[in-house]
Amino acid sequence: MRFYFSTLAGHRRGVLVLLGWSALEGVPAFFGGRLVGTAVDRGFAAGDPLAGVLWLLAFAALAVAGALGQRQVFARLGDVVEPLRDALVTRVVRGVLSDPAHRRTPDASAVAMITRHVEVIRDATAGVLVQARALLVTTLAALIGLATTAAVLFWLVVLPIIGALVLFGLMLPSLARRQRDVVMADEGTAEASGAVFTSLRDVAACDAADEAHRDITAQVDRQARAAVTVAWANSLRATVIAIGGFAPIVLLVAFAPPLVASGRLTTGAALAAVVYLTNSVNPALHGLARTTSTVVMRLMVALKRLEEAAPPASGDTGDETPAHGEIELRNVTFGWSPGAEPVLRDLSLTLRPGDHLAVVGPSGIGKSTMASLLTGLVAPDSGSVLFGGVPVDRVAPAVRHREIALIPQETYLFTGTVRENLALLAPHASDSHLIDSAEKVGAKQLLDRLGGLDASLGHAGEGLSAGEAQLLALARVYATSASVVVLDEATSHLDPAAEARVERAFAQRQGVLVVIAHRLSSALRANRVLVLDGGAPLLGSHELLIRTSALYGRLMLAWDPTHHEKTPLPKR
Amino acid sequence: MAKPGDALLVSVVRRDHRPWLLLLNAAVATTGGLLLPAALADAVDMALSGEFVLFTVLFLLLLAASEIIGDAIGIVLAASITSRATAWLRHTLSRKLLGLGHPSPFAAGDAVSRMTGDCGNAGGIAVTLITLLVTAVSSAGAIVALALLDWRLAVVFAVSVPLATFLVRTHLQLTADDVLAYQDVSGDVSARLLDAVAGRRTIAAAGIADEETGRVLRPLPRLAAAGAGMWRTQARMMWRAGLLLPAVEIAVLVTAGFGVMAGRLTPGDVLAALGYAALGMGIVGQIPQLTALERTRASASRIAEVLDTPAPGRPPASPGAGVLELRDVSVGTALRDVNLTIPAGTFTAVVGSSGAGKSTLAAVLGGLSSVDSGQVLRDGEVGYAFERPALLGTTIGRSIGYGTTADDARVREAAVAAQVHDVLVRLPRGYDTPLSDAPLSGGEAQRVGLARALVREPEVLVLDDATASLDTVTEAEVDRALTTALPGRTRVVVTHRAATAARADLVVWLENGRVRGTGTHRELWDDRDYRAVFTGGE
Repeated sequence: MRFYFSTLAGHRRGVLVLLGWSALEGVPAFFGGRLVGTAVDRGFAAGDPLAGVLWLLAFAALAVAGALGQRQVFARLGDVVEPLRDALVTRVVRGVLSDPAHRRTPDASAVAMITRHVEVIRDATAGVLVQARALLVTTLAALIGLATTAAVLFWLVVLPIIGALVLFGLMLPSLARRQRDVVMADEGTAEASGAVFTSLRDVAACDAADEAHRDITAQVDRQARAAVTVAWANSLRATVIAIGGFAPIVLLVAFAPPLVASGRLTTGAALAAVVYLTNSVNPALHGLARTTSTVVMRLMVALKRLEEAAPPASGDTGDETPAHGEIELRNVTFGWSPGAEPVLRDLSLTLRPGDHLAVVGPSGIGKSTMASLLTGLVAPDSGSVLFGGVPVDRVAPAVRHREIALIPQETYLFTGTVRENLALLAPHASDSHLIDSAEKVGAKQLLDRLGGLDASLGHAGEGLSAGEAQLLALARVYATSASVVVLDEATSHLDPAAEARVERAFAQRQGVLVVIAHRLSSALRANRVLVLDGGAPLLGSHELLIRTSALYGRLMLAWDPTHHEKTPLPKR
Repeated sequence: MAKPGDALLVSVVRRDHRPWLLLLNAAVATTGGLLLPAALADAVDMALSGEFVLFTVLFLLLLAASEIIGDAIGIVLAASITSRATAWLRHTLSRKLLGLGHPSPFAAGDAVSRMTGDCGNAGGIAVTLITLLVTAVSSAGAIVALALLDWRLAVVFAVSVPLATFLVRTHLQLTADDVLAYQDVSGDVSARLLDAVAGRRTIAAAGIADEETGRVLRPLPRLAAAGAGMWRTQARMMWRAGLLLPAVEIAVLVTAGFGVMAGRLTPGDVLAALGYAALGMGIVGQIPQLTALERTRASASRIAEVLDTPAPGRPPASPGAGVLELRDVSVGTALRDVNLTIPAGTFTAVVGSSGAGKSTLAAVLGGLSSVDSGQVLRDGEVGYAFERPALLGTTIGRSIGYGTTADDARVREAAVAAQVHDVLVRLPRGYDTPLSDAPLSGGEAQRVGLARALVREPEVLVLDDATASLDTVTEAEVDRALTTALPGRTRVVVTHRAATAARADLVVWLENGRVRGTGTHRELWDDRDYRAVFTGGE
């Protein structure tokens, strides 16, 4: 919310220009009633049609000026609203991308929702700028006009309006709550039906059409109820405003007769007063009520939802330099929440340059957590992760990002050239270096098939298989100068031979290599193996473990129970 | 011209009596609204005469009150009608979509947009129609009222209406290009954000959030340009519309002025004329409503399209020991003339390179999807587990018991058997963790999916690559647990792994939708093509 206003304030100039043109737009409202009154008073009623027509033509000229003002207002709206949208999108995207603690990946529908919220904010801001500004200008102009023509009636007319506005203001919080309920219910319906319709296969497999229908209709009914509830609030709001708008007119005609009789109010002034009220103040009041109860509420809800979707980005800190290339885990314990059983408990381990560690164990046991800890993406609950003797989160970010590279299972490919994709982490790498890196990890053939570095990739590596996408991600990290490389199931979609080639290529780089293993064959290539099975972690070489650990032996046996000579264990 | 959705819209309007109430309410409010300018004119004339007449003021109050109360009732009634109609459409549509089953002829995103967008549009039909009718009546009434004041006023006013219609029409054509460009660029930004979000771990680990933010936002200037274009168009349109109302008003005022001079009209009548002119212009503001009506009909047609799709018949399961038999079964080009008998209690592996028809075979075997020709005979309930199970339900525990009445204890047992209990108790709220707050890896989700199949204690278990993301240890443990939890059940396993095929009693080898061979793994292994299924030809 604060961000929204500060961004708007940043475009003060645009807003001021808008208000300037608004003043022009308000001119007809200011003079309208008076001119109509005068046209009747001095023209038609006085038997001088020429004067009457001329006064009305003057009114027409002002209307043209007003329309011109309105045109400018709309033309300038883009100057305020579009930069605001840009700023919002920028902040949201940065927030989403800079929050490594975000454990729930926003999916396609969440991204679509973010887009929708941003659009709502854009449209609603424009709506508010147009409506609220028109209201302000018109009402003020009309009231001033009223005060100058029928001053005796001024307070009689203004008090009911103020009363209605105050009441309306008091109703706003409950209106806002209900509006928010409607938006939430809308999202609920979309989410519930989205979950079911993307999973019809599973619904059929579970024979759960009834339960699925119940889940959807619960949200549908909630939404219907919310819509009716908000309608009651809106109806009350409309009544207050309508009374506030109409009461002055009734009061005016009721109190005018003695004033007219005593000559304190002319025909023209009385006419002018009614024209001001019916043609300017009343429409503006209704506009305000409509704008506030729908547009402003939608705006506020969207801002709040957006804030939840993308918390403000927090910067990296730390300015220490690691003394050497060793990475060390010291009594590390980590769990996803305080109540839950920790996924890692009291783990200590030192890796020196040249070390090649394979992390094996059942899935879901916390192997990926190891990768996040080593790269400083998450902090341990207790114990410490040291890089070159310095806690990894206190290493200067630039150094940490340069020295420690992670290749996760989910590859990141974006629309752009193959070169841009490969040079993502090594922006200054030469073409030959990139091609060489691709060759080392076995991606040369793929590179040739794509059409070299200048070939372009679509969204999300469109047209590439999952394995091909992984090869590009591997080549990308190979091209960097990172001294610690963590492969977090980064070869899961490669066949065993390609996987072996990749691991050997990285092992030859002389830094620290950590392989979170997808296949057990990875353990045979490593000089150290860490077995995680939920109990105390086991650490040692493959030979040592196979002799001393029953669990490890079982693991290896389960790996190939066919005992068929055609599917031998890979040689070390 | 009649559209397929029109009949649906008629039934939507007819199934509720409230639209009649709304119409009645609108009739009262419209009458009040039409009498109001005249009453106001009388009241102003009374004021100008310098003499207070109670009846005149009371009549004005009465009319105003009827309009205000009518509006208030109208808002609630309209919302109630629309939300009931929308909810009814959504109930009907979701029931039908669920009945169409898997594979659905409607893509998921499409189905959701029909549920949320189209049902919402179509649900507004009664209110849209009544609004149009009421506005038309009150505009016509306003012209009649003008004519009653002075026929010249009606003539002057009537000339301006076609002009207004023309002006509003041009706006729609002008904006289309910019709107399209805006949507395109907006979609591009979303797709880029989705890419980056998928690669968020890479981005976070490399500390390149700023650079990647820049990359996602690269199309932004084009978005701003298209947006500015939209505002400029709108400005032109507002300029015309802004001129229109005063032009009509002044024409009417001049005419009324001469009426006052000739003694045909009182000064109050000038105000009445102004009021009726504004009321008569109401129909111009309703032009977008005509577009809305067209949109409503288009939406109704999209709903009707789903409702009119015949549901495929699926052979019901007869109770029994778990024998599966396919006779000359074909499904599109995915499966052709497949004959297969799987005896009760056996462990069958289905293998083949990708695209060979394995998943289709698995779906057909258990009656998950229908066949184009041939016969599927099966007895016994079938439980399914998939490579990428979509977990449904409110909590992680419920996602295991989904579609059953299984209690907590049975859910827990199933999770233990599927080797996922240890993972689930580590979640923030254990089994009660909402699905959306339960971050599961592919392998964990697979095991929850497996537990979901186990909880039903089926006679036949079909595992469609359901352990592909498990490491070999976990897979072996799951395999052992399955045998213990559900001993003697028929098991059909789609797999890429030689080790799994080697454990099976029978291997069905598929190629291009046909059965290339059946036998044990050992028997088939001597075929070079068979080995290539597992090694990828290397």
